[in-house]
Amino acid sequence: MLLRKLFRTAWKYKAQFISMIIMVAIGIGVFIGFNMEWYSLKKDIGAFLSETNYADYRLFSDQGFLADDIDAIKDIDGVKQATRVVSVNVDVKDENKSLALFVLEEYTVSTMYVMDGADYDEKSDGFWLSDKYAAANNIKLGDTLTVTYRNEEISGEVVGLVKSGEFMICVADGNQLMPDFSSFGFLYASPEKIKSALGGFIFYPQINVISDLNKEQMEESVKSALGKTTLVLSKNEHVSYAAAQSEIEEGQTMVSVLPVLFLLIGVLTMITTMHRITSNEKTQIGTLKALGFKNERILRHYTAYGLFIGIVGAILGVALGCGICAFIINPNGMQGTYFDMPSWELHAPWWTWLLLVGVITFLMLISFLSVKKMLKGTAADALRPFTPKRVKPLAVEKTRLWERMSFATKWNLRDVFRHKTRSIMTLVGIIGCMVLLVGGLGIRDTMSSMLDTLDNQILNYETKVNFTETVTNEQAIAFAEKYNGDYLASQSVQVNGDPIILEVYSIKHDTVRFTDINNKAISLEGNGAYISLRIADKGIKIGDTISISPYGSEEYYEIKVVGILRSFQSESIMMRVEYADSVGIPYTVSSVFVNAQPSSLESADFVSGTQTKSAIMDSYNSFVEILNTMVLMIIIAAVVLGVVVLYNLGVMSYVERYRELATLKVVGFKNKHIGRILIGQNIWLSVLGIIIGLPAGVGVLYLLITMLASEYELKMTLGIATYCISILLTFGVSLVVSLFVSRKNKKIDMVEALKGAE
Amino acid sequence: MSIVTFEKVSRVYKSGDHELKALDNVDLLLEEGKFVVILGPSGAGKSTLLNLLGGLDSPTGGKITVDGKDISTLNDNELAEYRAAKVGFVFQFYNLVPTLTVYENVALLKEIAPDALDPKKMLEEVGLADHMKNFPAQLSGGEQQRVSIARALAKNPKILLCDEPTGALDSETGVLVLKLLLSMARNYGKTIVIVTHNQNIAKMADVVIRVKNGKIQSCEEQIKPMDADEVEW
Repeated sequence: MLLRKLFRTAWKYKAQFISMIIMVAIGIGVFIGFNMEWYSLKKDIGAFLSETNYADYRLFSDQGFLADDIDAIKDIDGVKQATRVVSVNVDVKDENKSLALFVLEEYTVSTMYVMDGADYDEKSDGFWLSDKYAAANNIKLGDTLTVTYRNEEISGEVVGLVKSGEFMICVADGNQLMPDFSSFGFLYASPEKIKSALGGFIFYPQINVISDLNKEQMEESVKSALGKTTLVLSKNEHVSYAAAQSEIEEGQTMVSVLPVLFLLIGVLTMITTMHRITSNEKTQIGTLKALGFKNERILRHYTAYGLFIGIVGAILGVALGCGICAFIINPNGMQGTYFDMPSWELHAPWWTWLLLVGVITFLMLISFLSVKKMLKGTAADALRPFTPKRVKPLAVEKTRLWERMSFATKWNLRDVFRHKTRSIMTLVGIIGCMVLLVGGLGIRDTMSSMLDTLDNQILNYETKVNFTETVTNEQAIAFAEKYNGDYLASQSVQVNGDPIILEVYSIKHDTVRFTDINNKAISLEGNGAYISLRIADKGIKIGDTISISPYGSEEYYEIKVVGILRSFQSESIMMRVEYADSVGIPYTVSSVFVNAQPSSLESADFVSGTQTKSAIMDSYNSFVEILNTMVLMIIIAAVVLGVVVLYNLGVMSYVERYRELATLKVVGFKNKHIGRILIGQNIWLSVLGIIIGLPAGVGVLYLLITMLASEYELKMTLGIATYCISILLTFGVSLVVSLFVSRKNKKIDMVEALKGAE
Repeated sequence: MSIVTFEKVSRVYKSGDHELKALDNVDLLLEEGKFVVILGPSGAGKSTLLNLLGGLDSPTGGKITVDGKDISTLNDNELAEYRAAKVGFVFQFYNLVPTLTVYENVALLKEIAPDALDPKKMLEEVGLADHMKNFPAQLSGGEQQRVSIARALAKNPKILLCDEPTGALDSETGVLVLKLLLSMARNYGKTIVIVTHNQNIAKMADVVIRVKNGKIQSCEEQIKPMDADEVEW
């Protein structure tokens, strides 16, 4: 019988029950969804990387590794597997596209995952092509592919379509943020195939290693095995693993902000609403008690409300969470455009189920406690209707100002302070809405301002021409001068044991520019080195001297830091050739920036590939799309949050003040007049919420950007439009909801409301 | 001069197929300045009568004229204006706004009633000058009812409508409140209508109307109404 009462009560307070369920479901859904997101990513990536024997370490040598070198590396205690590797970018013949050519001397480390076609065969004459590149370029098994490397054409039949952990994030170089398979992919070939195409000799500049040694041990072992310092990059410094890690970490940081906010608001909604419902039900509770129901039984009954809401909310929440997660973790979804891997299964961390049990228990506890309060004392006490807290005069009432206030102002002020929980919840709802809007739109502003700076300030060239390792400085500089271009020599150097990119620039034709930490364009001076913000964050200041050592050399060079730059992609040290020459740092030109289209450039065997500025900018498109989807989701979340929280509170307060409002109506106040008073209160609270929410949103944005700082050196940017949209939308939500609630004034039954005991 | 006329007034409540005639073709005429008591058992229709008269409800048939104006066809807003200008209410459970002080509860009317009287003066007259800054919950039932009388009269209405005004009070306090109510109403020359099932109150009335089953059973004028002190409570 009491069960029937539960459902009838749920029906009577349907607005409250529905909003509690929605908030609980959203809280659980966002929490589970976001946790599943990073956890699934971790699981799926982990499985993929171990299946393809993803290398733990990559050793690099500009001079190339000899057969003796690989034997020496294999002999290191702790090295399980190792192989020499060729990994170079090659151009697709007659097309402005390129592929990473990957050749393994022994097919043991960094292998492929065959999606379709033949397995690896070291005698095969064919190519194993990235399946995504094949799909984007309409290439099928059996088609012939021709690539050019150092002016040599290499042709082969596509015998397999594959994925690889090595190319899980398939980008040409640090300039490319997101994969773009229409213009860049990867290709596996056997050493036999390449050997015959290149005239019998393969130059192996890389060794991939699987080992449990830590980086320091590895570096030491390599140094003693090869007799020289060698650039050793751990998997943490390789794009696939590093991006996966930072994506997972990003997921974990997001989990600690957004879902907690939603869960908190869900629980707060539950507390206030449950308290209201039991207050309204007090006479019924008293009746049950008077009828002879034991306290225990009544408590059980009302605790069941929490259980009911918890279970329904949890079911919907899990569904929502899986939906959110599937939307992100999906080969065609947001992460799918970034990671190229075969399996996209969803996994939930075990403790999310614990959280579910916890939330349901907590909801039951909330109902239990709110009804417990109503049950205090005798049955007669319980029968008496809930008496709200006694009104105490406010401090402001003692001032002169109070006398001048209108009735509406006085009434609203007292109401706000009398129902503190409700007012605070309203504020929380509005602040939450505001924070989400400012944060979401702000991230978009920040990113698009970064891209804008990149497009309009930094990249001032048409084409970047990359050279092979064998180019001489004379050749490169001659090439640059022919096209009025500038050149860059990029190499890895060791700073306090960490590998950092050293970029030596010769800028005479203004093709590349630099920005300071305020995104203002500056030109490099020749009297010192510039460090990127991420290096500066490690505690290096302007005026400091740092010691750098190029890999493969025992020399150390002291350089002076004269400025800090905002670098978009990599952690790097930048300087002019004049300074490098004065300190004596050796360098080999690696690329040239020119204002000409690739087709108009002479072909030379030292050119390894070209990259146009428009291709670089295009590669950001999918990234911008993802960002826009995310921002849209956040805006929807903000509006749902605002509407549900405010509507619930509005309806609740209306139920709570029913008699008061009825009295005003009886005395002769018009519906509109009462509506104006109520809306006035909401407007005040909205304004206050917006005033608090705006800086809070900026703070959250700042926090997010700081957390993302290891990936991007972003400067927080907020457009006027963001402020306007956030304020107007928040205010609009609040106003529409209060207009909607105030329409209920018409339905106040004066006669009914005036009956019954006070 | 008649201030209230009911012509063939009906109020039917419908719920599904079920019809309940709370008032059935009632004709009634009340004269200005009289003290009218409406008597009847619960469910007889007396509260419906009062609600219709007070503009809290509209009839389903017939015509109600108050102070020369037909109120039976008014919409929500016009009814609110009517309540604000013409009628003062005193309820069994006082119905004061708990978040407003005693003074504010009365001063509230200035916002809506065109001829509102000075709230301070009204409160002095009901003997609550010292409690103006208190909140309703800090007062006794009798005191709260006195605030409600001050509030009803501060509107300076034509008619004062009271629904069991002493119903929630002990008899001693009830008599005091009733005496106050009557003397105030007489001082200000108001028509006063009290709905009750307390026969004793009827002894003091100028006119006693008995209601039963939605119809008016009798309407008698008392030539010599008793004074509150003469009635045995």
